Amino acid sequence: MSDSHSYPHEPTGVETRKLGFWIFLSTEILFFGTLITTFMIFKGRDFPGIKLTDVYDIPFTSVSSFVLLMSSLTMVLAHNALENNDQEKTRVWLLSTAMLGAVFLAGQIYEFTEFYHKGFELSSNIFSSTFYVLTGFHGLHVFIGVVLLLALWGIGQRQKGLSLDGGMNLEFVALYWHFVDIVWIVLFTVVYLI
Amino acid sequence: MSVDHKPHPKPAQYVQIALVLGVLTAIEVALYYTEDFVGVFTDPLLIILAVGKFVIVVGWFMHLRFENSLINKFFTGGMILALILFAIVMFERAAANFI
Repeated sequence: MSDSHSYPHEPTGVETRKLGFWIFLSTEILFFGTLITTFMIFKGRDFPGIKLTDVYDIPFTSVSSFVLLMSSLTMVLAHNALENNDQEKTRVWLLSTAMLGAVFLAGQIYEFTEFYHKGFELSSNIFSSTFYVLTGFHGLHVFIGVVLLLALWGIGQRQKGLSLDGGMNLEFVALYWHFVDIVWIVLFTVVYLI
Repeated sequence: MSVDHKPHPKPAQYVQIALVLGVLTAIEVALYYTEDFVGVFTDPLLIILAVGKFVIVVGWFMHLRFENSLINKFFTGGMILALILFAIVMFERAAANFI
């Protein structure tokens, strides 16, 4: 996410690691695209009686969505702080992002538990199956993101500072985190609002 | 490869962008609750708002608008492939050719 420098030693003119990471994100789009398509095929195909969409808690999910959106802000502020070599702010914003991600995950666990107690299990019907698989895989991505953020924060604490050079650095973790956010932007609309 | 030296936003601008995202989310939720009033325009408006939020995060927070055109092509390529898949399956579903 740093400025688009030219890399004359690279045949593509782009840093290979960064290009590779964007290609990885592109494959993730196809992964979630497939899951969303499957969800849309079966949307509304519950058994007769109470439907899963009837027990959605839109105000609660809206707050969760807002929390995840704001985590993208704290993430970009962490990256900005590191570009300015402000290690203290970088660590603070990284930890804030991880905490906001954890709040989102806690909300998802609460939501799943509520649905389970209302009789909607993974195997209740094909619609609830696609719902849990789609939102569950997103939750798994958020969890991995939180682990990566905490790992970066820990490395920053141990080594007295982070760098944008080498390895799985903050830039790639930030890209991953924003990707998780854009997937949720789509899911919030497709799964809950439409 | 094209090299773009447009400066990245400043922290205050990032906060403004996040506020815009928050407002768009609030509008989405308001649309959900006013579906009876807005009628058939609800779903298209919700999709437009989601696309707007998506573009803002990808363009400004992920800095794609400042990136090399090759990266843009790969990301856009993935999006287009996913949308083609979605369109084909939805068309088939509408035509009741399966399931």
